[in-house]
Amino acid sequence: MSEQEIREGMLLAVWDEPPLDFDPDTLIRRVEQKKSRRRALVGVGVATAVIAVASFALPGLLPRDRDSQLGSDGQTSASATPSESAEIRVQRIGDKLAEKLALTEPTLKEVYSDLKVGRSGPSGTQVVPGNPGDWAYWGYVYLTDPIGPTALRVEATRFGFSVQSFCASAVLCRDVPQKDGSVVTEAEFTDGSPEIARAETVRKYPSGLVVKVSSFAYNPATGSGVRQTVPVHVGVLTSLVTDPSVNWE
Amino acid sequence: MRKADEQGFREFAAANAASLRRTAYLFCGDWHTAEDLMQSSLMKMYMAWKRIKELDNLIAYARKVLLRTWLDEKRRPWRRAEQRDGELPDTADATVDPDNTSAKLWARELVHTALLQVPPRQRAVLVLRYFEDLSVAEVAVAMGCTEGTVKSQTARGLATLRAIVEKLDSSSGRVAS
Repeated sequence: MSEQEIREGMLLAVWDEPPLDFDPDTLIRRVEQKKSRRRALVGVGVATAVIAVASFALPGLLPRDRDSQLGSDGQTSASATPSESAEIRVQRIGDKLAEKLALTEPTLKEVYSDLKVGRSGPSGTQVVPGNPGDWAYWGYVYLTDPIGPTALRVEATRFGFSVQSFCASAVLCRDVPQKDGSVVTEAEFTDGSPEIARAETVRKYPSGLVVKVSSFAYNPATGSGVRQTVPVHVGVLTSLVTDPSVNWE
Repeated sequence: MRKADEQGFREFAAANAASLRRTAYLFCGDWHTAEDLMQSSLMKMYMAWKRIKELDNLIAYARKVLLRTWLDEKRRPWRRAEQRDGELPDTADATVDPDNTSAKLWARELVHTALLQVPPRQRAVLVLRYFEDLSVAEVAVAMGCTEGTVKSQTARGLATLRAIVEKLDSSSGRVAS
C-alpha cells in the first residue's frame, strides 16, 4: 500500500461525515458558564477552608474556662435546665462565681474558674455515679491580686458536715441563717500563724448538699505562693456562697 | 473578553470546526467523540484567546491542542477500558450512491479500520503527515517532539499500518494492492 493510497483512504474515510451542527455562540456560552461555575466552586472552597480554620483556631484563642460560656451568653440566671449536661452546669456555676468575685473585689485581676464534676480525691477527680443523690463538684476560682496569682477552693458534695468539728480550731466561727432554710457557717483559722491563714464559708442546704468555699494563705491549686494572710476574706466568701444568681444545687 | 476578540474567535471557530472534527475523527474513529474533542479544543482556545490570538499560525496551534486533548482523553481510565474489536465492518450498500464503487468503500474502510489499530502517537503522525499534509517540521511542532522522532514514528506507523492492512486483506480473501 503506497503513501498515495493511504492519503486517499484517509480522505475517503471522512468523506461521509455527518453534518456539522456547530454554533460558536453556544460554545462561548458554555465556556462562560464553566468559568462562573469554577469561580463559584473556588469561592465555596475558600469559604469552607476559612470556616474550618476558624472553628479549629477559635477554641485555642479563647481561655479554656470561657469555652462553654459562649453558649450561655445572654442567660441571666445560672439555673440549670434538665437537659443540660453536668459539665456545663458546673462550668456555669464557676463562671457565675468568678463574675461575682470580680464584681465584689474590683482590685482582683484575671478572675476565672475551673470546676470539675466529681469529688476531689488523692489522685485527682473521682467520678461520681450519675444519680442526682451523688451530685458533687469541686475546683478552683483563680485570681490575681497585688501580691500575685492564687486561687479559692470550691467544693460541693453531700459529705456529713458537723459545725463542731468544722469550728474546732477556728478563731472565728458563726452561723448566718438564710431565708431559704439553708445554713451558712463562716470561719477563720490562723493555723498557728499570727494572721488569718485560712477562711472558709460553708453552706448546708436542706437537700443535704454542702458547699464550701475556702481562701488560704497559699495557692491551693499549686501548693505554693505562700503569703501572710488570705487573699479573700470570709465576708466575701459568704457573699459568694449566698449569691442568689448561683444555683449551687 | 472584548467584543472584537470574541468576534475574532467566532470567525476562527466557524472556519475551522469542520476540519478539526475530521482530523479528530481520524484520531479516534468515532464522529461523536470527534465532535467532543473538537469542542473541547475550541473551548481551551477560547479561554486562552487573549494570549494566542496574535499567533501566526492559529490552525497549527489548534491542531496541537486537539492532539493533546485526544491523547489526554485516551489516558483516562474510562477511555483506556474501551476496546475495539478490530474486525472490518460491513461495507455500505454501494447501490445507494452509484458514484461509490465497492472497491472505493473497501479501501476507505480498510484504511480507517487499520488506522485505528496503529498505536496512538504513530497514528497521530500518519494523520498529520498524510491527511493534513504537514511537513515533518510542522508535525514535530504539533507533537512537541524532534523531527527525527517524527520521521521514525512515521516509518514505524507506515510499517504497522501496512502489516495490518495486509492481514485484514488476506483474512478477507482480497489481494492488497
